[in-house]
Amino acid sequence: MEFSVLLITILFVNLFQVTVPFIVKRTVVFGVTIPYEQAKHPKVVYFKRLYALITFIIGVTLTIGFLLSFQENEKFVLAGVTIPLVIIVTGLSLYFYFHYKMIKLKQSQDWYKEIKQVHFADLAIRAKDEMLASIVHFIPTIITISIAILSIKLYDQLPSQIPTHWGPDGQPDAFSDKSWMSVVSFPGILLLLQLMFFGINVFTKRSGIKINAGNVTSSQIRQLRLRKYSSWFLFVINILMTLLFTFIQLNLLYENIFSVSLMMLMPLFFMVTILAGALGLAIKVGRVDSDFEGKFEINSSSNVDGIDEDQYWKGGLIYFNRNDPSIFVEKRFGIGWTMNFAHPIGYFVIIIPIVLILIVAFLN
Amino acid sequence: MITIDPNSDVPLYMQLRTQIMEAIVRGDLSNGDTLPSVRALAGDLGVNMHTVNKSYHELELKEIIEIVPKKGAVIIANKNKDISKNRLETLSEEFRPFVVEALVSGMKEKELHELVTNVIKKIQEG
Repeated sequence: MEFSVLLITILFVNLFQVTVPFIVKRTVVFGVTIPYEQAKHPKVVYFKRLYALITFIIGVTLTIGFLLSFQENEKFVLAGVTIPLVIIVTGLSLYFYFHYKMIKLKQSQDWYKEIKQVHFADLAIRAKDEMLASIVHFIPTIITISIAILSIKLYDQLPSQIPTHWGPDGQPDAFSDKSWMSVVSFPGILLLLQLMFFGINVFTKRSGIKINAGNVTSSQIRQLRLRKYSSWFLFVINILMTLLFTFIQLNLLYENIFSVSLMMLMPLFFMVTILAGALGLAIKVGRVDSDFEGKFEINSSSNVDGIDEDQYWKGGLIYFNRNDPSIFVEKRFGIGWTMNFAHPIGYFVIIIPIVLILIVAFLN
Repeated sequence: MITIDPNSDVPLYMQLRTQIMEAIVRGDLSNGDTLPSVRALAGDLGVNMHTVNKSYHELELKEIIEIVPKKGAVIIANKNKDISKNRLETLSEEFRPFVVEALVSGMKEKELHELVTNVIKKIQEG
C-alpha cells in the first residue's frame, strides 16, 4: 500500500517535470519572454526537447532505483521520500541552466526590432470570468464549527491521553495529554485553512486577467481556464481537507469509530483525489496557448505583441512588480499561480495562516 | 479591446482615456455599461492604478462616465443626445489650436473636412 502511494507520487512528479516546458505559455520559454512568432524557433524547440530528454532519463533511472529498493524492506520509504525531492531539485537546476541559455539567445537575436509591444485589456472580459464565488469556502466551515462544538461538549468524557498522530497502519502512535488545546486544535487548524482558501480566492479574483496582444484568443482562453479550474481545484482541496480533519477528529472523540482499513484508505483517497485534480487542471490549462495547442497561426500583418515583463521576474520565477496591483499572477514555469512579491497582502494571505498552523501544531 | 503603447509619446492615461471613448463610439460600450474597477483594469493591463484612476477622472470631468458609489464607473455619455452647450464651448476651445495648426500648415477648409471624415472612419473601423 505504502509502496504504491510512493510509486504514484514519483511517477506523477516525473511526468510533470518532463512535460512542463510544453504546457507553459508559448511566449515564455524557461522564464524568458519571446515574441509569439518565435515560439517555433529551432533553438527554442531544441532547448525544450533537451530538457525533456535529460529529465526523462533521470526520472527513469530514479524510478528503477526505487523499484529495486523494494526488495530491501524499510529502505523504500526513505527512497520514496527522497526521490521526488531529487527530481524536483535536478529539474530546477536544469531550469536555471536553460533560463541562462535563453537569456543569451534572446540577447543575440533582435526579435523585438519590428514588433510593437503593448499593454492589452478586454473591457468585457470580467463577464466571462467563471471563478467560483469566494464565499463557497465558508460552506465547509459549518462542519468545522459543528465538530468544534461537539468536541467541547464531549470534553469531560474524553480519556486523559489524546492520540495526535497515526502511523501508516492507521493506528495512533503519538499521544498528548488532554487539554483544551489538544481537543480543539484540529478544528482550529481547519478553520485557518478555510480562511486561507477564502483569501486566496478573493485575491485571485481581484488579480488582473492578462491577455497577450500577440495572440489574443488563445491567451484569453488560457487565463479564463486557469482562473475557473484553479478555483474549483481549491474548493475540492477545501472539501477534502474538511473530510480528512472531520474524520480524524471523530476518531479522536469516539475511539475506534472507524475500522482500521478505513483509517488507512482515507489518506490514500485524499492523495489520489488531489493528484487527479492537479492532473486535470494541468491538462485543461496546459493544452491551450502551449505547444500542445497544435495550431500555430502567425498573423503576419499585425506586428504587436505583449509587454516583455522579464525585468519583473527575478530568475524567471519570482514576480516583483510594484505597478501591477495583481496579488497573484500565472506562473512562468509550471501550472498555477505565484505571488506578486511587491505587495505585502500576498504574504498575509499565505504566510500568516501557515505560521499560525505551525504554531498550533508545535504547541501540541 | 484596449491596447496601450508604453513607447508612445502620448502619456498612458491619455491613450487609455481615448481608447475608452473610441470603444463607446464604436458601440462596444454603451450608455449604462459599467467599466471595470480601477484595480481590475490596472491589473489586466499591468499598469499602475494611478494611470487608470487619472483616465477615469478625466472621463468623469468630460461627463462621459459617472463614478457611482458601490457600482463603479458607469457610462453616461449618450451618442443619440445632442451635445450640451457647455461641452460644445469647451470642445471648440480645445479644437482651435489644431485647426489653426492645420491652416497655418497650408490645409484648405475642404481638406480639413476630409481629414475629419477620415478620422471618424478610422475610429469606427477600430
